[in-house]
Amino acid sequence: MNSGNPAKLIIKNNIIPDLMAGTIFKSERYRQKVESVSADILRNVSLNRGFLLWMGFLTAVLLACLYAYTVQLREGLGVTGLRDITSWGVYIANFVFFVATSLVGMLISCVLGLSGAKWVKPIARIAEIIAVAFAAVAGLVIISDMGRPDRLPYVFIFGRFQSPILWDVTVVTTYFFVSLLLWFLPMIPDLAIAKDRLPGRPAFLVKAYGLLSVKWVDHEKQFEILHKAMRILLILIIPLAFAIHTVTSWLFAVTPRPGWDSTIFGPYFISGAFVSGTAAVIIAMYFFRVSYRLEKYLSDFHFDRIGRVLILVSVLYFYFNLNEFLVPGYKLKTADAIHLRELFAGHHAILFWSVQLFGLVIPAILLLFRPLRKPLPMLVISVVVLAAAWLKRYIIVVPPQAHPHLPAQNYPVEWILYKPTLIEIAVSVAAIVLVLMIITILSKLFPVLPIQEIAEEEALAKNESA
Amino acid sequence: MRNLIAATVAILLLGTRLSAQDWTVPDDRKGRLSTFAFDDNTRTTGERLYTANCKSCHGTPGMDNWLRLVPPPGDPAAEKFQQNSDGEMFYKIVTGRGQMPSFRTVLSANEIWALISYLRSYNTGYVQQVMQLITSSAYPGAEIRISLAWNSADSTVDISATAVKENSSVAVTNAEMQLMVQRRFGHLALDEPRNTDSRGFVRFRLPADLPGDTAGNVLLMARFTDEETFGSAGKDTVIRAGMPVNAASLVAPRAMWNTARKAPVWIILTYLGGVFVAWGFIMLVLLKLRDIYIIGENSSVNKQ
Repeated sequence: MNSGNPAKLIIKNNIIPDLMAGTIFKSERYRQKVESVSADILRNVSLNRGFLLWMGFLTAVLLACLYAYTVQLREGLGVTGLRDITSWGVYIANFVFFVATSLVGMLISCVLGLSGAKWVKPIARIAEIIAVAFAAVAGLVIISDMGRPDRLPYVFIFGRFQSPILWDVTVVTTYFFVSLLLWFLPMIPDLAIAKDRLPGRPAFLVKAYGLLSVKWVDHEKQFEILHKAMRILLILIIPLAFAIHTVTSWLFAVTPRPGWDSTIFGPYFISGAFVSGTAAVIIAMYFFRVSYRLEKYLSDFHFDRIGRVLILVSVLYFYFNLNEFLVPGYKLKTADAIHLRELFAGHHAILFWSVQLFGLVIPAILLLFRPLRKPLPMLVISVVVLAAAWLKRYIIVVPPQAHPHLPAQNYPVEWILYKPTLIEIAVSVAAIVLVLMIITILSKLFPVLPIQEIAEEEALAKNESA
Repeated sequence: MRNLIAATVAILLLGTRLSAQDWTVPDDRKGRLSTFAFDDNTRTTGERLYTANCKSCHGTPGMDNWLRLVPPPGDPAAEKFQQNSDGEMFYKIVTGRGQMPSFRTVLSANEIWALISYLRSYNTGYVQQVMQLITSSAYPGAEIRISLAWNSADSTVDISATAVKENSSVAVTNAEMQLMVQRRFGHLALDEPRNTDSRGFVRFRLPADLPGDTAGNVLLMARFTDEETFGSAGKDTVIRAGMPVNAASLVAPRAMWNTARKAPVWIILTYLGGVFVAWGFIMLVLLKLRDIYIIGENSSVNKQ
């Protein structure tokens, strides 16, 4: 039998009767599988030198960048490139990018998971880690854009139900918590498995595992409750994820500015989010595969599948791009015409066309070729896609502000043509460093792949073939 | 084609001539003076009026931050402005030219003088000359008094003008009178200007649908159109001659643009409903975690 590729076995059994799932946990095969899988995955759970060095490096960068933030806090937003006309810059672009990337948690674990794609099982937790990290920092990024962050409570004290800002704050918070639960809940059986299998790890970690595993004993009823809770969350996360990015798009779309004044901004943002999120997951997958030596679980097959997903979401996003630019480009209303000319042939043309071609069209075409859906080529493609995704948010946020409907007379040109300052870039880097720190902690202190689910799949696969 | 070119050249020449032309003020208007002395009060009033009416083009006086238009509006604190006499300034504000609008019906004479008092505060060398009251040249030495009577029965206003000198009074005849009503921006002329009759009377008919305030009050203003001849005397009276207007306040009902307390009900329900549903499910999941814990604890107790 083809024992070489466990993932293929998982696919063969993509419909598992629930009854069978209940009995399998008592079998000897399942226990053996738990041993072997947990050995592979828990090997990486440690506070080793590499982890400490990497975290030390991130902390140093973070501190340097936080110094830049203290300058901004002391001097005010004048130290940024933000002015009267262009009042949203890289901070808001960063925010939209973070919210977008965090949406992948919903795409992978929910849309693909609920539709019965079993290959997403090993990837789901990685996707949730990315969702948690980006959603957690997205809120902080907004604060960095505030001239008076001490007035943040005012959003809640004086918040208006009519303002998309209140909706955004609410929905980002909620999405973060649900993502956190979606990361944590499927991990409970793993924590119970791991808590006795972590010799030589710090005592606090083992103790934390014991606490967090909420007395998990592989009881049938516990599985039942856990599955029910997971189903609630997986359904809840769909409207939440749509809400989080639709509301983010409303921050722009409810403003009558050429370039933002669009009725399809909601789906345009969501489809774009899938692209950047999938690229982020592929990068993380590649990193864990190589550095955690998890080739067996994050196989070429998984890369091939997620590569196809990236093609699909890119085509979807391309469709919305076509709509977003073709329709106003055909009508060319005065204000739109000025904005579109700047994008297509003016000041932002090089950035715009590079992002559209190298970040969307060319990657989707390249990924159509099977040899390019191997881990390394996909890493390269995904890095380009992710970088382009960030720049795309910049294109969405910044250029439309240069052409308000009311004439901007009597302003110095540097107030209209925005250029981020070093301080701004440093503060934005701080946010990215924070995301990396959260991803590192979640993936290094906890099992990065679902031990119990993989063991279950493997045991079932063996069962059937036996 | 030749005509077109000729016309273009003519227009261009005309344009340059117009812009090069000095803004001349008739000699008899140059010497006009304010009837009151400029003080901190008038300057404060003037500053308020300047901010509301002039600042958008002329900028902050002394900062040279006027709007870059052609021809340039200029900074009122500049030498070019300040070398005007009070009368010249007054005339230019009243009449306007090109893109500079006329403020004849926007600001009253007293308001324009207050404005000038504010502008003069940027001129350290300025010493004000005050004129008492513009006295009529037609009735030298007399004070002209205007009275206004409202006849609600036939919606008319009777205005009478008398020149009073010491103990004798005489009707001001054949003087052109203008009746105006105060609106939000400027004053609205009611009817055409009319001349007083031999008794010094003039009658204006008010439109039946003249909008007033919530009680129907309007501020009517009677003025001579020829101030030089008949003086600057006027009569401002509030009378209940208009239709009561009870325009609903835009911030009274629930609306998208209102405060949180006055948000539309549907949006409050949608928001709170969404929050309760989402967090309700989150709480439900947390309760299920508790169930898992209890089952685990019971089964471990059973084992022991």
